[in-house]
Amino acid sequence: MNNEKLIDLCVDALDRTKRKGADEVEVYAESVRTITVTIEKNDLQVSRAQKEKMIGVRAMCDKRVGFASTNDPTAIDETCVDAVTLAKASPADENNLLPHPEKSDYVSGIYDPDCEGFTIDRAIEQAVKMLDIARSIDRRLILGNGEFSVHIGTRALINSKGVSWSEPESLFVYYALATARDGEEVSNMDYQFDATRNAGSIDVEPITRRACENALGSLGAKKGESFNGQVVLSPNAAQSLFASLILFQANAKNVLRGMSKWQNMRGNTVASDLISVVDDGRLPNGVGTASFDREGVAHKRLELIKNGVLTSFMHNTYTAAAMGMENTGHAAGSARSVPGIGASNFEILPGEKSKDELIAEIDKGVLVTRFSGRADPVSGDFSGVAKGGYLIEKGRISRPIRGTLIAGNAFEALKSLSGVSREQERVFSLTLPYLRLERISVTAG
Amino acid sequence: MLQLLQEISARASVWVELRYHVRRSKRISVRNGKLEESSTLRLAGIGVRALIDGVFGFASTTDLSEKGIARAVSAAESAARASAAAKREKMRSFPHVALASGEFAVKTHDPLDDHSLSEKLALVLRIDERIRSATKKIVSSSVAYSELQDEKIIVTSDGAAAHIIDAKPDFRVLAVAQQNGDQAMGTDSVGISGGFSDLFAGRTPEQMADNAVRIAVDQLQADYATGEKATVVLDPGLVGVLSHEAIGHTVEADLVRSGAITSGKIGTQVGSDLVTLCDSGPSQYQPHAAGELLVDDEGVKTGRTVIIDHGILRSYLHNRESAAYFGVEPTGNARAFEYSDEPLIRMRNTYIEPGTSSVEETIAGVKHGYYLQGLGGGGQADSNAEFMFGVREAHEILDGKIGRMVRGVTISGNAFEVLKSVDAVADDFSWGLGAGHCGKGQLAKVDAGGPHLRCIVTIGGRQE
Repeated sequence: MNNEKLIDLCVDALDRTKRKGADEVEVYAESVRTITVTIEKNDLQVSRAQKEKMIGVRAMCDKRVGFASTNDPTAIDETCVDAVTLAKASPADENNLLPHPEKSDYVSGIYDPDCEGFTIDRAIEQAVKMLDIARSIDRRLILGNGEFSVHIGTRALINSKGVSWSEPESLFVYYALATARDGEEVSNMDYQFDATRNAGSIDVEPITRRACENALGSLGAKKGESFNGQVVLSPNAAQSLFASLILFQANAKNVLRGMSKWQNMRGNTVASDLISVVDDGRLPNGVGTASFDREGVAHKRLELIKNGVLTSFMHNTYTAAAMGMENTGHAAGSARSVPGIGASNFEILPGEKSKDELIAEIDKGVLVTRFSGRADPVSGDFSGVAKGGYLIEKGRISRPIRGTLIAGNAFEALKSLSGVSREQERVFSLTLPYLRLERISVTAG
Repeated sequence: MLQLLQEISARASVWVELRYHVRRSKRISVRNGKLEESSTLRLAGIGVRALIDGVFGFASTTDLSEKGIARAVSAAESAARASAAAKREKMRSFPHVALASGEFAVKTHDPLDDHSLSEKLALVLRIDERIRSATKKIVSSSVAYSELQDEKIIVTSDGAAAHIIDAKPDFRVLAVAQQNGDQAMGTDSVGISGGFSDLFAGRTPEQMADNAVRIAVDQLQADYATGEKATVVLDPGLVGVLSHEAIGHTVEADLVRSGAITSGKIGTQVGSDLVTLCDSGPSQYQPHAAGELLVDDEGVKTGRTVIIDHGILRSYLHNRESAAYFGVEPTGNARAFEYSDEPLIRMRNTYIEPGTSSVEETIAGVKHGYYLQGLGGGGQADSNAEFMFGVREAHEILDGKIGRMVRGVTISGNAFEVLKSVDAVADDFSWGLGAGHCGKGQLAKVDAGGPHLRCIVTIGGRQE
């Protein structure tokens, strides 16, 4: 389906919904074609080809809102009727508003025309390449899980205030989960991810290699030591412990619900001054890059935390109106549901020291590649196992450890952290550095 | 559509499975008097599997024209052919089974469509208001109604031709009470297969609201439990949670092949001989189980699968592929949530068979222990059957009598150890896990339940 046709579908649905009695209407449509090849237990698992076109209609009648969606082109009229019926039966809320059009350019580089000819055979080739790389590195390696997928689609959005967008995109996604087995010993499972917008720059090798090498490196892990001290988190572990927490706390919907501990902290220190966080919906080659958000507000670069100070919450039209703040263009979600709030390309900005320099300054500590456990984004409490853990002694990684528990509170750890690496890695749509934490309880399991 | 699918399947040069699925769903949720969501979703599409050299390929499409479906069939074939060239492990044989043909519809007394969207929305708003106005102690409320209405047609090259009609509504309430800075939560929920009046046949929405309020408010007065290994009587809801979460997942044949704890244990004693545990497509003992499935998504007619018979492990849960691998009959557990999902091994309605004791006797036999009702605050279980569940409502039992309420209770242990400790199974029965979904990559509507049952578990004590 090409752009024009999708936007025509939106215009038709908007007109119908108005005729059914809505005074404001938003129509969002997504058309997507996906090819997915999955890997399981060192073998290809399944190959899938899928096609779907979804349309979501949000109708407002006197500040009352109703929503209906469908993938069925013969059910558009019924969908418009449902949205209006629900709106009329709903309680009014003065913050039910739609955004006005604004002047903004389309981002470039998120659609590669070459992706159109990408076949399922080529996707299988890439998955087989991942399996071959693992086999060539070491016979003890197992790719327990993995995927190569292609997403080619178009998003279109129009509303009755005059907002109108339509944009094609392409995305190639690949990840590998590797373990190594030596006799009875099973290593830590390591997980690596990457993605690209261009067919020409697909390269499954670095992530496959990294997952395999990390798994091999953790073989021979023995019991660690118990102490209270420094812990270095990999980008993957930083995602589990901090990114989810920041995303929850900075979400204006959670502020409105009274669930965010940061609700009165704007302009105040919430983290070490080494920490700066941005969300950039226009990041070149970003997984979450798009010109407009789920309500048709232009994406921009937003600073969430600057040198430890909370500078902004993530808003959609509703929360911005309810809290009297500026809409930051963070409406998120699919055409199947009403817009929520979410980040696009979340990034903890890099620091000045290298990862090795951060480690070199540690007398005794632990490097955590992956965190498996409980991390409560509301209370900040975390406790769990340091997977792919390494003991750090006298500034060097001394040996792999297993079963080591780490526990603490992420709000406190964020404030007391003492290092941010200049290296960053991509974890889905997040870009994160290594982080060095202080005063963490480390228990040998 | 049935005829069209049969024609397309007849023209295919390889084995194919065509699954046409139209779903209409509605969701209404209100929180503290504010509407969180009121929405409808209509999905229509076809999922196709093709089998070439023992390897499946999958494709799905929303283009329901003859050409569109034929394109999806050839996409599935290409996927299977390309995978077959590269995949190492292939299915050696695909078993011939009697496949379903004809009409299959869940029993519905009062069709969901006879009740308008406005009526359902008004109900949710009214019940939310009822919770918040019950007492000044209530500080937060939430109420949600949702429904799925499905029509499926499943056609396979080897003879399935089933037309399936299904309807599954559910209703959930939550109340949070507060006093002197202390908060407590009460919940109630129901989910079924059937019609609108079937949904509220057991408890009215008002009774559910009052129940949630009572649990939340009473907990404010309750002391925290102390951690100990204790004799407990589980209500049908918790018996269902134990059967589904802690036991059921470990007998799904794909997880058995990945090394679940039940691997290699068929024919061995895994529980007390008082325990017979089943997973059934049709409802048993009580109608309208939420996981009701008359024909699975591979076109296999479902029945009642006895997993544990008087303490002996008898069967895993299978799709056609795993049944071929283990050399047994498929059990009708292949399920796909939406048209674009491939069928996976999933549970349906998982339960323990009623026994012979009365509920009163079951409780009277406890000198010191707890009476535990319903799942609250989530939980988790692993493929080694280790579990931890939060309990919605807990009372002490002293000298065979139900005493004071205690709060903050969790139960944990190894599910098979718990089954071995069962020394009384009551003669009652109900379903209790109908609201919400089970997740395993994709969602599924399931149910679980049983009678009251007496066993030993580890009680987790005070936790803030």
